[in-house]
Amino acid sequence: MKRTARWQVLVAVGLVVGWLLVGAGTPQAGPAAKTLVVGLVAEPTSMDPGQLTDVNSMRVLSSVYDTLVRFKEESFTLEPGLATSWTISEDGLQYTFTLRQGVKFHDGSPFNAEAVKFTYDRLLDPKHPYANTGPFPFAGFYYGAVKQVTALDASTVRFTLKQPFSPLLNNLTLNTGRIVSPAGVKKWGKEFASHPTGTGPFKFVSWEKNVRIVLDANPGYWDGRPRLDRLIFRPLPEEQTRVTELLSGGVDFIVDVPPDNIDQVRKDARFVFYQQPGPHVWWVTLNVNKKPFSDVRVRQAANYAVNKEAIVNDILKGTATVSSGPVPPAITWAYTDQVARYPYDPAKAKQLLAEAGYPSGFPAIFWIPESGSGMQSPKTMAQAIQADLAVVGIKVQIQTFEWGAYLNQYGKGFGTAADMGALSFMLDPGDPAPMLSLILDGHALPPNGFNGGYYKNAEVDSLLDAATRTVDLKRRGELYRKMQQIVATDAPWIFIDHALQNAAGLKKVTNFKLHPSFYMFFNKIGVNQ
Amino acid sequence: MWRYLVRRLIAAVVVVVGVSFVVFLVLHLTPGDPAQVLLGPRATPDDLARLRQELGLDRPVLIQYLRWASHVLRGDFGRSIMQHRAVLPELVRRFSATLILTAGGVLLAFPLGTLVGIVAAARQGTPVDRLMTAAAMLGVSMPAFWVGLLLIITFSVHLGWLPGAGMYSPTGSGGLTDLLVHLVLPAITLALVPLSIIARLTRSSMLDVIGEDYIRTARAKGLSDRTVIGRHAFRNILVAMATVFGLQAGFLLAGAVYVETVFSWPGIGFMMVNAILTRDFPLVQGGVLLVATTYVLINLGTDLLYAYVDPRIRYG
Repeated sequence: MKRTARWQVLVAVGLVVGWLLVGAGTPQAGPAAKTLVVGLVAEPTSMDPGQLTDVNSMRVLSSVYDTLVRFKEESFTLEPGLATSWTISEDGLQYTFTLRQGVKFHDGSPFNAEAVKFTYDRLLDPKHPYANTGPFPFAGFYYGAVKQVTALDASTVRFTLKQPFSPLLNNLTLNTGRIVSPAGVKKWGKEFASHPTGTGPFKFVSWEKNVRIVLDANPGYWDGRPRLDRLIFRPLPEEQTRVTELLSGGVDFIVDVPPDNIDQVRKDARFVFYQQPGPHVWWVTLNVNKKPFSDVRVRQAANYAVNKEAIVNDILKGTATVSSGPVPPAITWAYTDQVARYPYDPAKAKQLLAEAGYPSGFPAIFWIPESGSGMQSPKTMAQAIQADLAVVGIKVQIQTFEWGAYLNQYGKGFGTAADMGALSFMLDPGDPAPMLSLILDGHALPPNGFNGGYYKNAEVDSLLDAATRTVDLKRRGELYRKMQQIVATDAPWIFIDHALQNAAGLKKVTNFKLHPSFYMFFNKIGVNQ
Repeated sequence: MWRYLVRRLIAAVVVVVGVSFVVFLVLHLTPGDPAQVLLGPRATPDDLARLRQELGLDRPVLIQYLRWASHVLRGDFGRSIMQHRAVLPELVRRFSATLILTAGGVLLAFPLGTLVGIVAAARQGTPVDRLMTAAAMLGVSMPAFWVGLLLIITFSVHLGWLPGAGMYSPTGSGGLTDLLVHLVLPAITLALVPLSIIARLTRSSMLDVIGEDYIRTARAKGLSDRTVIGRHAFRNILVAMATVFGLQAGFLLAGAVYVETVFSWPGIGFMMVNAILTRDFPLVQGGVLLVATTYVLINLGTDLLYAYVDPRIRYG
């Protein structure tokens, strides 16, 4: 009797194991004809464009929604999106857009001037009946200058500004301002965040939280039907997991290949590696309110002392380029390399320190976050900077903060507690304004802005202000170039690097291009079967 | 017995409320709030103030806590600030994923660990014992995240036998088979340390018991080895086993964080780490409530188990 019972158990175990093995060998359910599976760095936080503050989620939404104005492929040059043309009034206070006709949202409701008005009123007016579907953190920063949005007729809409604000057109390309379906927002309320409805090349199908987001091609897309039938996004937050999923075929495409794995992916014939400059800046702010960095010679010495090439090549493994100022080269219309440069030169640094009265150096406190959006490898980079500065006698003590606490500290200003602090930003509108006005402008000293190191130069302030008010792009470019020359010479920061964005995919993925804004567009991508 | 249970349950409520309050306080006293994390360096004073008001962060901490607590009592856990969705369904989803993973780990670790321990003890000093002891030592010493990566490299990348990330395949049907296939590697990774600890403890408890007089008596009666070990000795290590099972169940739940991270398993540990880093107060609070309750219940369950496996223990 007992023996029989044991046999029964064994048979049962055998059956379970066998079932598992058979199950493991079963091919996955047949995918749609042309499917692309993309590995993301995290689960998107929301699919309501106004709510987003992270690039990762924005990369998904560019497939579901459109903007009034957009950038051409691989550049920051504007082209028509949902607006076919626009005019700007002489005084720079009125922007009038003619809208594309015959476009429909995925729910079948029409795209028109009222939808544009609804989108922006919801973002900007706290009393709007659907303002409670927010909060919309970036709305004020990018569109705060807008006084009112008026629907002149079904296909004409006018933005009236409080004061001239020339970055407006570029800011309209941003994720925050993607046009949402008013009917969709009204239907779903707060749950619109999980039921996105736009006019984009892909329609939302399903979102299994923490597992996958499925989008299907929008056959009636105004800019041509996408080549893919189905687009699937999977969150793969762990770097190594993301790479191994690509290697083992779990995904067709990944973004943000970790620096240590780039070589491996590059050398593997199955994959294509993509890399492109983005509008990113990583720097070390120096406290100009406090000795010794109040002396420009000391600040220049610090710039000479740090070996930026070594950081870019050895720590970041070539996933960045050396920086020479606060404007990234990706923004070609505003960038210049005709500025004071600081090549690695410890002897020159020592000489400058001696001239400034610090022949044997000095101690300094250096704040860094342990991680953070756009911060690359802050600890390793800070240690390299610390080692370089030690060579010229600057004895740096690193103080590490967790990201949330760090932003709080930095935003309050360095006071007398710190001499240096690392930070980075992304100019995804392809425009230095309004970011630089919040970080480098003398009017943005804490608590009025994020100028934690207290840099103040009246000429820089007026150049930044003029560049924000001037409409003509060529003239704006000149103003920003002049500003960069002054800032490079003043050296309020140690300019470190500009990150390159990267991605990798199977060879069968065709026609993929990275965009300098760090957004991703999948409507032109194909898959060879 | 019942009085004991009621007393323990009241104490459990006090512990859970206490934990949730302390966590709330610590989180709010830590510099940096969700408004700051959301805005990053784009934080103008106006935008910060507006966002704080919209999120209710401009009220005193105690008021915020009481508001949260009163909502929770009505079954409303609020909405995640960072994930823009209702907290409760998210917790349920995440916790189920963690429970599936933990259950996989328990099913591997507890029976296998016990079996290895008993076999090693029964064969004390033989090569079998030495091999198992060495393997258990190795198992305790290897960090889970490293083992996880090794398993992924071997079985997902090189051999291509098993998936190395997620709970379901992105293009698959999402059925039970799909889930079990995805569970194999993470469950093994998670089970390794508890399995080894249980094996070591079982072996040493067993050796203690085997040295007792009543075992010698049992053997002297001429009982078979199987009966002596299986009935007389095993029964007497159960109290020690219950303790270690309780502790290890907690460990499995906590250890799931690493495994979830390595295998992109959408569980609660991974969610909590991110929620704390981004100051997602409602999500952290809900998660803490759930995890604290689970721990308290596991502990209570362990204590009750003592009484069941050892008739000498009675609660009054």
